[in-house]
Amino acid sequence: MARIKDRLDSFHGGLVLKHHKELSVRSEVIAIDRPEQLVISLRVNRGHVSQPVVKVGDRVNKYQVIAQPIHPFGVVVHAPFSGTIHAIEERPTAAPDAEVAPCIILDTDAEDETIEYLPPLQSINRTSLIQRIQKAGILGMGGAGFPTHVKYDHQTHNQDHLLIINGAECEPYITCDERLMLDEAEALLKGTDLLMQAADARRAVIAIEDNLGSVKSLLDKTINTLELTGIEVIKVPTIYPTGGEKQLIKVLTGLEVPSGQTPLSLGIIMQNVATTKAVYDAVEHNRPLTERLVTVTGDQVGRPGNYLTPVGTSFERLLATAECTLSGIEKLVVGGPMMGYPMPNSAIGVDKTTNCLLLLNKDSSQPDLTTLPCIRCGDCVKACPQDLLPQQLFWYIQGDDLEKARNHHVFDCIECGACSWVCPSHIDLVSYYRYAKSELTYQDYKKAKAQLAKQRHENREQRLQDIKAERQAQRRAKAEKLKDKSTAKKEISAVLDRIKNKQADQDHKQ
Amino acid sequence: MTTALNTSGSPHIPARFSVTKVMGWVLLALVPAITAHVFYFGVGIVIQILLATAAGYLFEGWCLRWRQQPLKPFLTDLTVPVTAVLFALCLSPIAPWYVAVVGMFFAIVVAKHLYGGLGNNIFNPAMVGFATILVAFPQSMSLWLPPAGLIQLGDNLQSIGWQQTLYVVFAGLPADISVDAVTAATPLTALKTGLQQGFAQSEIVTGAVFGDFGGLGWEWIANWLFLGGLLLLFKRVITWHVPAAVLMTTIAAATPFYLFNADIYMSPQQHVFSGGIMLAAFFIATDPTSGCSSNRGKIIFGAGVAILTVLIRNFGAYPDGVAFAVLLMNLSAPLIDRLTIPQPYGKKGQP
Repeated sequence: MARIKDRLDSFHGGLVLKHHKELSVRSEVIAIDRPEQLVISLRVNRGHVSQPVVKVGDRVNKYQVIAQPIHPFGVVVHAPFSGTIHAIEERPTAAPDAEVAPCIILDTDAEDETIEYLPPLQSINRTSLIQRIQKAGILGMGGAGFPTHVKYDHQTHNQDHLLIINGAECEPYITCDERLMLDEAEALLKGTDLLMQAADARRAVIAIEDNLGSVKSLLDKTINTLELTGIEVIKVPTIYPTGGEKQLIKVLTGLEVPSGQTPLSLGIIMQNVATTKAVYDAVEHNRPLTERLVTVTGDQVGRPGNYLTPVGTSFERLLATAECTLSGIEKLVVGGPMMGYPMPNSAIGVDKTTNCLLLLNKDSSQPDLTTLPCIRCGDCVKACPQDLLPQQLFWYIQGDDLEKARNHHVFDCIECGACSWVCPSHIDLVSYYRYAKSELTYQDYKKAKAQLAKQRHENREQRLQDIKAERQAQRRAKAEKLKDKSTAKKEISAVLDRIKNKQADQDHKQ
Repeated sequence: MTTALNTSGSPHIPARFSVTKVMGWVLLALVPAITAHVFYFGVGIVIQILLATAAGYLFEGWCLRWRQQPLKPFLTDLTVPVTAVLFALCLSPIAPWYVAVVGMFFAIVVAKHLYGGLGNNIFNPAMVGFATILVAFPQSMSLWLPPAGLIQLGDNLQSIGWQQTLYVVFAGLPADISVDAVTAATPLTALKTGLQQGFAQSEIVTGAVFGDFGGLGWEWIANWLFLGGLLLLFKRVITWHVPAAVLMTTIAAATPFYLFNADIYMSPQQHVFSGGIMLAAFFIATDPTSGCSSNRGKIIFGAGVAILTVLIRNFGAYPDGVAFAVLLMNLSAPLIDRLTIPQPYGKKGQP
């Protein structure tokens, strides 16, 4: 099974980027005061929408469940504050393309009556922990938003699992994980210990980038103070995207997650540091996940830093607290500059995966560079951490030869944006791959549907034929019986007897 | 507060590089070699470069207009001067003006734009231009100036400055000067003809056009090309795969012949330091558009260029075979690419 290598491995390609972290990491965390209104998105993880369990006008308490998942990969949603449900309607969310999704709009009040929606755990074991994680509505807070309990639920038993806590925040500008490690080292380590129990893991590694100055010594010291065993802090080289799940596993263990599978196939579970802290809160403080650290940084930010933000807080509110002006700002990005999503406006609510709001002016984003044809320079090949041939993929997708793109492993693309960034022709390569993936998925779906319809049609034909054949066989059997004289006579007399009996019956009744 | 914000896709930070910068670095990397060229063979190369660039821009603008493409991005991407300089470096410094014009016509119009313009050319434009004139004007291609150090012929052409060179390029040689008096064979031609006349290599290389380890002058141009190539490697404009493959394969392929019969086959160092191998290794075979894209493919491509060049030099009719070798490998590049798709992350060991 997976073992940490004595000498760290490396992944193909990658980039050295200016990290811009000093902007926001130094200042203390500021907690956002209760906003008057929250817009809480019910859409998580690739479009799985949770079902509201409250109605418009209902009063809810702090931490009350307001939506339940209807899909195994959905999550429970809790109210961050007490208040009244103002509306349940479709709103733009902090997702790619600011996709419109069902949201609960909550008018908060200061009552803050907390009812114990998560009673203290009686005993801490694997089952109770996984259940608690699920009930607390915890999901991957590093960006992917995958429900946390699923990772532990699906694991095979009696394996020596390796737990990796991902503190490698490789995107430039973002510092919420670093800040969390600095401020909440104890909670993070205790959370790690809990997750080790949930994962049946004897060893855990906290991976951080080697440009984080004092974090390692702080964590090491805390491990000693808490007398924890099996937890190790490892510095990994600061190369984008070293915080990508697959890349980090390669660096630490030298293993590659097989294409199309999860790290669990290697006996590895990876968790983001913020998620680990959320697990700790859910177990120790019986608190569901209703707030998170959000980095607000970039150009024209008066107070760049990390903000403890209730889920549903509007960007407007957050930006106002951070003293930002939007005039002259070219882009408002959710997430980092490499993979983040640009937002059309700031009337959108923070969700559980929103790790950063990044403001960029025209100079630092330069969005209007002229796109030239691909000159096949191969810079993208050099940069690709998945060892793909980005320019060949581009070539095929441009020519709408999507099957060739599939053969060139387009589905292994992690959309890290390294190729787009290095492209001297300024081609937005990742958009082409996203298009190819969604188009191929759709085509496969259509094909599967057509296949199903065809199968059904064939089954029906078969059934009709079977019935016909059966009838023919019966008829033939009857005809066969009549051929022989003696049996024919018997048959005829049997029929005549039946008729006679019937008449007799009727006569009797009358 | 609903300002309309820009929602163009990621990444949201400025790109690292641009085509113009890539081409700019290539041009810069060629400057030392051009300087050496001027030092040994006079200002002819500068005139040829200017001529080829002017003709190139003319054809480029004409083609862009004809293909209804925007002029500005394509005229400012510096690809035309790169093609022009690479092409001019293959020319004789005193080749007549129409040679450069015809060559650039084939480079820009035929090789580049008829195949779809920037990024779509199958063949290296500079090599198409060069191969065309090699076939069309063999006479003018063999007219090469003797290296500067050689000239002891009084006030003959070698000491000529701008004026005389311009005169020769545009009006031809003055009637009272014979061709043989002012020109010399290139080292590779000298070797070829010498070998054909039955001289041994060891005798031929004592001739005037040879230097310490290659052709006189040529060896230093090759050295400076090497230096420029290192700059491109350092700036990550090119990777090591093609240059390493070309140079090492040239040596590997030439050595057995040389060991077999040193009298009739060129020595490996002649192969490397005379003629176009160094230029091809760093500047021609590294052309991404007409080359291979995967690292393994690049190595095969570079090795192919080297092997074909050595074979053409040793057995072919032409003294140098770099242009034909590159064009032949250009043809094979798509196939090589198809056979060398790298296994991506997580698929190692899988089909």
